[in-house]
This record gives sequence, structure tokens and C-alpha cells, in this order.
Amino acid sequence: MKKIFIFAQIIGLMSLCWISQPAAVSAKEIFVVTTTEDLADLTKAVGGDKVKVASLSYGYQDPHLVEPRPSMVVQLKKADMLVKIGMDLDIWVDSLIQASRNSNIVYGAKGYVDASVGILRLEVPEGKIDASMGDIHIYGNPHYWLDPENAKPITKNILDGLAKISPENTEYFKNNRDKYLEKLDRAIERWNEKMKSYKGTKIVTYHKSWSYFARHFDLEVIATVEPKPGIPPSPAHLNSLINLMKKEKPVMILHEIFYPEKTSEMVAKQTQTKLVILPTSVGGVKEVKDYLSLFDYIIDRITSQGGE
Amino acid sequence: MLKHLIIFSSVLFIFTNSLFTEEKFLEGVAMTSPAGLPGMRGIPSDIPDISVVGDFYGKVSNDETDIERNKLTIREIELALQGYIYPEMRADVFLAMHKHEDHIEPEICEAKVSFLKLFDNFSAEVGKIHINFGKINKVHQHHRPYVDQPQVITNFFGDHGLVGEGAVLSYLFPLPFFAQIDIGAWRIPAHSHESEESNCENEFGLADEVYSCKLWSSFPTSEKSELELGLSGATGKGSGYTHHKDEAKVTGLDLTYKLWPSAHTRLIFQNEILYLVRNIPTGEIKRSGFYSYLGYRFNKYWSSGLRYDDAEDAFPHADDSGNLSVNVSERTKSASAIVTRDLTETTQLRLQYKYYFEGPKDVSEGYLQITFGIGPHSHLLE
Repeated sequence: MKKIFIFAQIIGLMSLCWISQPAAVSAKEIFVVTTTEDLADLTKAVGGDKVKVASLSYGYQDPHLVEPRPSMVVQLKKADMLVKIGMDLDIWVDSLIQASRNSNIVYGAKGYVDASVGILRLEVPEGKIDASMGDIHIYGNPHYWLDPENAKPITKNILDGLAKISPENTEYFKNNRDKYLEKLDRAIERWNEKMKSYKGTKIVTYHKSWSYFARHFDLEVIATVEPKPGIPPSPAHLNSLINLMKKEKPVMILHEIFYPEKTSEMVAKQTQTKLVILPTSVGGVKEVKDYLSLFDYIIDRITSQGGE
Repeated sequence: MLKHLIIFSSVLFIFTNSLFTEEKFLEGVAMTSPAGLPGMRGIPSDIPDISVVGDFYGKVSNDETDIERNKLTIREIELALQGYIYPEMRADVFLAMHKHEDHIEPEICEAKVSFLKLFDNFSAEVGKIHINFGKINKVHQHHRPYVDQPQVITNFFGDHGLVGEGAVLSYLFPLPFFAQIDIGAWRIPAHSHESEESNCENEFGLADEVYSCKLWSSFPTSEKSELELGLSGATGKGSGYTHHKDEAKVTGLDLTYKLWPSAHTRLIFQNEILYLVRNIPTGEIKRSGFYSYLGYRFNKYWSSGLRYDDAEDAFPHADDSGNLSVNVSERTKSASAIVTRDLTETTQLRLQYKYYFEGPKDVSEGYLQITFGIGPHSHLLE
């Protein structure tokens, strides 16, 4: 009876294979899987209507800690191209690539796009690296998409990837990118103007997510609530942080939406500093639907809540 | 002793934060660096990923016959060497030093070559492998969310689970949802009955030529949840077949539900039920067992869980009239509560309390586990 049951289940699944081939992507569309929603939006901007894009993670998730799910294998199996953040931030995708058996998207294949290529990396560790430094990324701080200027190398990498897959559409992708970058440049001008009065402002951040953002807008990150990347703050660290903040008087604490707020709230209260809770990715909050609105939202929050 | 160990563990937990207390902010990092060569991941190197995982384990118990009682020991040190050997082919070697009673034995825990893509949708692994049976057998001990092994796995596959030398062919069904079948053929050495250290009188497992099959699938039930289902089967001889002349079949059904309510919280509800049919010269032994695990991760650092075990053993026992009967089993029932403090993905402190309702009755056990990882360590999707 059991054998019949097993046999029937296998036959059932195999029959389903014949009748329900994954046909969601039309023959002309390039199916691109990205590891984050930011990359998905930028891929849509370059690929236009020639691509269908799916993100493996959501903007409200901590990008360091996305749990690989078998359902992600199905997406990757169908993918013509994979766009990842790289620099070991989305290292969780590696086991999924292997499980997908899709040679289009393995490291070195034409459908493998590491969006970090060409980025001027910050905080690249030197010398011996180990866990005594916390959850440090050996290739540098990977939160580079939070500098809007970095959308330029990111979209360049996406363009190069799409052009390899669909060379006949290279001009189309290039035009899309050019139009998007024009829009981006206008937005950057607007953001720079809004943030002008904050130049040189001292800030504290929870995690080191804001290094690229701070460099772009000339903010000075004087400390982090985490003593080291990924390490929860100890009472001793918080004590020294509070003393430092009382002395240096930073204007605000930038806190990522996915980290517990309690500690940052306590520090903000004790030092009478503004706490600004922010998404770091598209989809982090419902108002942030694309890469440009991510910065609109962040800058609105900083300028309305952060004070002078 | 029990009191001392509990106090020690509590102090260790409390002082976890202090271990990382630092007054200074991170130094020794360069501010900027040009990007590497296009598509390159870091500094050029042909060194494989090398990592060491340690599993230290302490146990207290009110069972005075337990030889592991009131000891803090090294359970396992695993050295992993992992890397690609050819495009779409990788090798993973896990060498382990295991604690066996009072001595430590070296062992090849796993050593395999994976063909990540043989031809469309097929992949294969060859070597010594933790066989993909059910949900937890393939997972190395240091990656499991509890200190001990579920009783049903120990009773039907032995202390180390179902591990064989052979090959497995996997096929990923081209369906809109994840569905994969793994079919394996293995050779597993029998217990040596002549050996003084043999445990074959009270440990059962599959041996000789073993064939395995697992059909597993997964369905996203929402953006934040996923349901996994698996059906497994394995057939072979008993691990003491040279003496017992037995053959056995094990079938298993597993169901796992995972829910991620927010970025760092996770609910996991995992269940496995196994059914054993063992043919011995005097008759047919039919046994079953299951475990059910409910775990919740509160945040990035803390998680807890509850597990219930109910499993029959694989041996015949004396009936009321004193005759050995295939219909009489010894059943173990226990409940465990687990608390885990995650320091990193591979480094954890864990406490577990386990209470036996039956076989042995009214026995309480406490475990402390410290697992640590140095270096890049990875496993395929499990």
C-alpha cells in the first residue's frame, strides 16, 4: 500500500511537470532575479519592458540575514540573470545558486552580475581579519547602494549583464539607463540642496549601514550604537557612547528599521538626541516603492525629524 | 555538581555581552579602496575555504548509570575544506574528531564531490554523505537547534544518524513550486560483533547495501511563510546483520512550517514521523516514532524551542511470560526546552533541559552546548 502511495506521488508530480511548465516569462522577456528590492528596481529601470524582475528578499528584511528558502530555488532555476549586491552581504544566495542547477547564473557565467564591481569601497579592512572585529565584511562595507551616486556603477553592471544576454537590445538598455541617470542626477541635485545645511553634521548610527550615505552628504558618523558590526551593545559600550555623545553633541541617531529600537531610544533620550528610524531599502516601508523614493523618504525624515 | 554547572552556565550566559565589551570604536580599517578586478571576489587565491567547528558539551543528569553524567567534554571538532574543483563541481571534506565514551576518534564525517549540474535539472553527489532522509538527518549536529539528537533518529539510525558511502542522484522537478527527488545507493559497514567496544546490542541502524529515496517539496504559503513536506524511504540490512540476520525498511514523513513575522523573528514548527519494519529470523518487528519541534527566534541573538520525542526502540523484548517477542518494544517519551544565544551564525551557547516521562522514567537531564566556528563554513540547501 505504502509503495503504491509513493509511486502514485512520484507519478503525480511527474505528470504535473508535463502539464504545468513554468511559463510565466514570455519567450522575449529576460527573467532577472535580484537579491534585493533596490537591485530589482534598478534592473527594471535599465531593462524596461524587455525584462521581468523578481527579488529574493524584501526591503523590510535585514539583508545580512535572509534565510534561504527552497521556493527561491524555483526562481533561480528560471533566471536568465542574477544581480547580487556582492561583497559577501548576500552570501546566503550561494547555496541557492548551487541548488538551482542553473549554469546561466553561476559565478563567471554571463548571467552572473555582481553589482559591486566598480564601486569605490569604504572601510575595507587591512591586515588580519577575524571575528574579534565583529561580523566584518572582508571586502569592505557592503551598504554602497545608499550613496545615490553608486546607482551609476550599479546600473552599468546591470546594463553590461543584460547586453551579454540580449545583445540585440543593447541600445534599448543603454537609452533606458541614460534616461534613468538623467532623472537620478536631477534628484541628486534636489537631495543635495535639501541636505546642504547638514554638511559636517555629526551623527550616530546603529549599524554601519550609513557610511556611503554619510560620505555622499558629508555627514560625520562619530560612533555606532553597535560596538562592532553585528555585535549587540553592552552596558559598558553604551556608557562610553553616551559620554561621547554628550561631549560631541551629534544631531541625530540614524536607526535601521529592522533592528530593535529600544537601545537607540534609550541612548537618544539620555543624550537628548533625535532618533530617526529609516528604511535602508526599497520596500522597507510602504511609501518607498522605488530607488528614488527611498532617498526622498530618507531625506524627508532626516530634514523633518533630525532638526538642525 | 548539577548546581555548579547550572550556575556556571547562567554566569556564562549573563557575561556573554561582557565578552564583547569594547570601549574603543573599530580601528584598523582603511577608509576607501578601489574596487577589485571586474567580477573578482577579493584577493586572488586558490586556497579552499577552511574552517573549524567545535562542539563542546556538558551534561548533568539524575540518572546515576549515565556515563556522560556531570561531565563537560569536547563532543566534536570538525575541520572543513571546501571549494570548487571544476566548473559546477565542488568538493566538501569534513574531518571530525568525535568523542566516543572516554576517548576521541578521528573520522571522515563527510567527504563528497558534488556535480551541481549533470544535465538538465539533475545533480549528483558521490562520497561519504549524511543521507538526505527526513529533515534533520542531513543536518550536522552543530547546525541543529538542539543539543541532542531526536530519539527516533537515534533508535532507527544510530548515534550518528544515517551516513553512507555511495552516491545520490537528485532531480529538480520543473514545477512552479520546489519539488525534488533524491535517489541514493550506499554501503554502510555493519557493527563488528566481535569488537569489545561494539554497541550493536543496543544500537540499531541500517547497514550493508542501503538504498534511499526522498521526495521533498516546498510551498510559499505567504510572503512571510513557507511549508515544506518530505517523504523518505530507506532499505537495507540491520547494522548487526552478521549476527542478527535482519533486513529493515524505514519510511518517514516530515512537515516543516516556517514563518518570519519580522526581520529577525522566526517561528518554526517541525515534525518527523518514522516507521520501521525489521525482519529478523523469528518474525517481523514493526516500530514507529516521531518528534515535534516548535522554535521561536525572538531577535537576532536569542531563540528558544520545545521538542517532544516519542519513539520505540528497534529490538524485541521479553513479554509477560518472559519470552522474547517481536511485538514488545521499549518506548521513550521525553520533552525538552531549549534556549540558544547566537553570537554569530556558527557560534552559539545553548542550554537544554530534558525530562523523560518513559523509558527511563522521571529522569531529568540538563545540557550545555558551546559551538564555535572559525572561518568560512557552508552547507548546501538543507
